[in-house]
Amino acid sequence: MIEPFQAPFMARALAEVALLALICGPVSVFVFLRKLSFVSDALTHTVFPGVVIGFVAGGLEGLFVGALVAALVTAVVLTLLTRGGRLSDDASTAVVLTAMFSLGVVLVSRRSSYTSDLTSFLFGRLLTVTPQQLAETAVLAVVILTLLAIGARALVFRAFDPAGAAAAGYRIAWLDLWLNLMVALVVVAAVRAVGTILVVALLVVPAAAARMVTARLPVMAAVGTALILFSGYGGLWLSWTASIDYGVSLTSASAVVLLLVASYVVLLLLSFLKGSRRELVG
Amino acid sequence: MLGYAGVSVGYQGRPVLTGVDLTLEAGQRLALVGPNGAGKSTLIKSLLGLVPVLDGTATVLGRAPAEARDQVGYVPQTDALDAGFPVTAAQVVMMGRYRRIGWWRPARGADRQAVRAALDLVGLADRAGKHFGTLSGGQRQRVLLARAIAAEPKLLLLDEPFNGVDVVSQEAILRVLRELTATGTALVLSTHDLTVARDLADIVCLVNGRQWAAGPPATTLTTDNLRLTYGGHAIDLADGRTVLVDP
Repeated sequence: MIEPFQAPFMARALAEVALLALICGPVSVFVFLRKLSFVSDALTHTVFPGVVIGFVAGGLEGLFVGALVAALVTAVVLTLLTRGGRLSDDASTAVVLTAMFSLGVVLVSRRSSYTSDLTSFLFGRLLTVTPQQLAETAVLAVVILTLLAIGARALVFRAFDPAGAAAAGYRIAWLDLWLNLMVALVVVAAVRAVGTILVVALLVVPAAAARMVTARLPVMAAVGTALILFSGYGGLWLSWTASIDYGVSLTSASAVVLLLVASYVVLLLLSFLKGSRRELVG
Repeated sequence: MLGYAGVSVGYQGRPVLTGVDLTLEAGQRLALVGPNGAGKSTLIKSLLGLVPVLDGTATVLGRAPAEARDQVGYVPQTDALDAGFPVTAAQVVMMGRYRRIGWWRPARGADRQAVRAALDLVGLADRAGKHFGTLSGGQRQRVLLARAIAAEPKLLLLDEPFNGVDVVSQEAILRVLRELTATGTALVLSTHDLTVARDLADIVCLVNGRQWAAGPPATTLTTDNLRLTYGGHAIDLADGRTVLVDP
């Protein structure tokens, strides 16, 4: 079970997943509390054209910058669009999502290596993570966890009772921007490793799965992180074993996400077996 | 404590409630009475600076409403909240301390003490660790009241605190409100329960799109005033009382 990770590229892939686990566990709790699954989905799609433009302009380094710019712009635009309930979260999010994703496809289809480029943008390249990429993810992790530590209390208050939080003097629009920016940064951190499509799984599944076994927020975050770690290790091992021992090509990032979803299903079944949800929240 | 003179409040320049003239001193209880959609919640939100004052002069604790928020407690309607949200009663009450605690530092002993005292006051000390969603509607309302109390406000605002609340909780809430005002806290609550308004309030303010009457309950909750406020929904009974039909 250890042997595959003696290969440096496998060790780096595992380290990348571990860093993502550290940030995605806690951030997914807020995505869950605010019911922002769809917004996260939109962010991953709007980052896509940024990724393409960045890659065309400056290769892998440009890709990172392109993703960062696109994610930050989207976070601001989504916050403004949904501010004061002028547009429903769903409608405005869907408009931004589809427009940006189409733009990305148009841009990438102009390249000669269309298919392989598209695949790596959408599903990531977990096995080609470089030491520099690892360092960048680590920096982003520090930034995200710091933002989270500062804002956590206010963000929980806002998620539970927006009117009460506003009455207490919190500026709701700023808190929404704060969370959207954190989600955007997570997308940027994860996009090269797991791609724009699969990153949404890391933002939605961990907390949703953890909620089955606990109603305590810090425990939810920890369980979410543990689930990503487990799925990351298991998924990488599976894709290695499938490829080396059986000659079956299994995309590692997809294997990781499939395991994550499988653990969600297992916890769901367990919670059913344990009885009604009332016991869990009581 | 509270001074409104010729005030209109509303959204996007359009007034919801006009002609509000009110003054409230420390320890006084004000009941806003009127039918659904009369502008009671809007007036309460204007006291927090969350809805703009379109006309007239409005002060809360001698300041502009938005600048007095740190001294003003707010109890929202419980049905606006998600019962499935994973927080305990004590965590909800702790939210009342967040602005004092600030962004960085963890909660101190004084904060936990304030939370315990507030839960104790509303009679729910034994439910501190219970999940908010498992409490009854009345208990949830008491938890939200405890949250406002934990912030130690000088002015307390309650939006329909007796909606969907059982008799036990209603009695508990009324007792706490009387205790708070006895120590100098001023109170504004909206209700369409005339009995509560009559029994609890020092000042009753009848509103429906505009302020129709304001003053002590005995001279304000008259048949004529209720007719003005509620239109045809106010029915006179043979014994001289007035009841409201489907307000």
